[in-house]
Amino acid sequence: MQTAESSGGSDLVIRDLHYSYDGNLPIFTGLDLQVQAGEFLAIIGPSGCGKSTLLNLLSGFASPERGRVQLRDRVIRPEDPGLGYVFQRPNLFPWLTAIENVEFGLRMSGMPAAQRRQRALHYFQLVGLAGFENYLTTRLSGGMQQRVSLARALALEPALLLMDEPFSALDAITRETMNDELLRIWDTLGQTVIFITHEIEEAIYLADRIVVLARPPAGIYRSHGNELPRPRSSQTTKTSPLFWEYKKRLIGDIAAVMRQQPVDDAELVEMGLSVATDHA
Amino acid sequence: MIPVSGQALAAARKPLWKMRHSWSWWSIPSLLLLWMLLATQFPSYILPQVWDVAGEGLDWLRSGEIWPHAIASLLEEVGGFGAAIIVSVICGFLAGFYRPFREYLVPINGLFMAIPPIAWAPLMLIIFGIGYTTIVIVIFISAVNPMILTIMEGVLQIQGQEVRAARALGARRWQLFVYVYLPASLPFITAALRIGFSQAWRALVAAEMIGASQGLGWMVSTGGEIGNSRQVLLGIVLIGTFSYLFERLLFRQIEKRYEVWRLT
Ligand SMILES: Nc1ncnc2c1ncn2[C@@H]1O[C@H](COP(=O)(O)OP(=O)(O)OP(=O)(O)O)[C@@H](O)[C@H]1O
Ligand SMILES: [Mg+2]
Repeated sequence: MQTAESSGGSDLVIRDLHYSYDGNLPIFTGLDLQVQAGEFLAIIGPSGCGKSTLLNLLSGFASPERGRVQLRDRVIRPEDPGLGYVFQRPNLFPWLTAIENVEFGLRMSGMPAAQRRQRALHYFQLVGLAGFENYLTTRLSGGMQQRVSLARALALEPALLLMDEPFSALDAITRETMNDELLRIWDTLGQTVIFITHEIEEAIYLADRIVVLARPPAGIYRSHGNELPRPRSSQTTKTSPLFWEYKKRLIGDIAAVMRQQPVDDAELVEMGLSVATDHA
Repeated sequence: MIPVSGQALAAARKPLWKMRHSWSWWSIPSLLLLWMLLATQFPSYILPQVWDVAGEGLDWLRSGEIWPHAIASLLEEVGGFGAAIIVSVICGFLAGFYRPFREYLVPINGLFMAIPPIAWAPLMLIIFGIGYTTIVIVIFISAVNPMILTIMEGVLQIQGQEVRAARALGARRWQLFVYVYLPASLPFITAALRIGFSQAWRALVAAEMIGASQGLGWMVSTGGEIGNSRQVLLGIVLIGTFSYLFERLLFRQIEKRYEVWRLT
C-alpha cells in the first residue's frame, strides 16, 4: 500500500487524523486526505469547522492525537524551509519595515544581504507593493499588510504553501488581482498549495480540487475535482458554464453541511448564500 | 541592533518649528520663582535664596569637595542598578518562558515588593558595616524586584502570533530569541530600566542618609544635622539633576528607537 501511494506521486498524506482541543469536543476523528505534489487544493467549510486547525496540524504547530501527517514520508515541522504559511491575520513584525518583513525568512536561512534584498524586492513588487518598502507595517492598510505577509511566505519559495483565508481582508478588486498573481506564481514555481477560503467562487477559480469540510467531528463532506482548463482568467473562467455548474454543486454541498446542525442566518450570508436557502 | 531603518525614523520626526508649544517649559521656572518668593519671607539660614544655593554649589565645585560625593553615589548606583539589570533580565525572561520558575518566583517577588527596601538597611549595616557594600545591596533589592516583574509580564505579553510567524519562516530557537523576543521586548525592558533606576536612586539616597560616610544622601543628612540648609538644598538639587539627566540622556534615547513602531 505504501509503495502504491508513492508511485502515485502522492506528496502530502493525512491518515486517520484524530484531534481535539484539550480533550474537549473532538475536531477530527479519522480524517483522510492526500494531496499530490504541485496540486492546488482548496478547502471550504463553515466557520469553526476546523480549517485553521487542519493547517496547524499540517504545519506541525499542533500534533495529532492519533494518525499521521506526512510530507514525503516525513513529519512536518513549522521550521522546515520547504513550508510556507500565510496566516488568517498578517502577523507581521512591527519593529521591521515592510521589506525587512519579507526578508525575514531569507535572513533566518542565512542568505547574504544583497541577494536576499533582491529576492524580497521581487516578491514585494509581485504583490503590488512597490514604493512601500521602507514603511513600518503599522502604517500600512490591512490589505497591504496581508500582501506583505503573502510576499513574506512566497520569498522562501516553499514547496508546500499553506494559506488560511489569505485574501478575506481584501476588497473584491484587490482580491481578484491577488488571485491572478497567485495563479501566475503557482504556474512558475509549481508549489503544492493548500488554500482555505470562505468564498466558493475563489475556490473554484483557483483550485484543482475543492474539499468541503463539514462541522466537527464529521470531517470531509465531499471532494470535487475541478476540470476547468488552465490558464484561467476571470473573464473566460468565471463565465464558463462549467464554473456555474461547480458553483451550484458547492452551494448545494455547503447548504447541506450547514443543515447538519442548526445555524443562524448570519452565518449563511457570510458563506455567500442567500437566507432563502431552505432550512428544513 | 534595533532594525528600524533611518528613513522610517526620520519620517516620524517633526521639524522644530512645527512642534506644538509645550507648557512643560514653564514648570521648572515657575517652581524656581516660587522658591525665590518664599525665600524672601525667611532668614537665609532657614531658607536660602536660589543664588545662595548656586553659590554654595560653586564653592563645593571650586574646592573639589563635591566630586567624592557625586562619584560615590554614582558608583553605588552603577553597582546596585547594574547588578539588578543583569539579574532581572535573566530572571524575568526565565520566569516569562518557564511556568514552574514563574510560579516559584512570583511569591518571593511579592514579598520583597511588600517591604520598603530601606527597611533592609539596618540589617545590612550590621552585617557589612558602613560603606559601599551595604548601600549597593539595598539598591539592588529595591530595583531588582519591580524590574523582574515588569520584564516577566512583558515576555508573557509577546504575541504568540509573531512567534508562530517567525517559526513558520524558519527561525530556530536562538534566532527566535534574537530576532523576535529581543526586539519585541525592547519596550518593556526600557520600562523596567526606568522603574529600576528610579527605585534604585531613591533607595540610594535613603540608604546614604542612614549608613554612609559620603554621597549625595549623606550631604543632605549631615547638612540637616549641622543646620546648613544650603548644603541640604544643594544635595536635593543634585539628586534631582542626576535623575533627570539619566532619564533624558539614556532612557529617552532608547525609547525613541522603538516608539515609531509601538502599537498605537
Ligand atoms: N486554541 C483553541 N482552544 C480550544 N478550542 C479551539 C481553539 N482554536 C479553535 N478551537 C475550536 O476548534 C474549532 C475549529 O476552529 P478553527 O479555528 O479551526 O475553525 P475555522 O474553520 O478555521 O473557522 P474560521 O473560518 O472562522 O476561521 C472551533 O469550534 C473552535 O471553537
Ligand atoms: Mg480559521
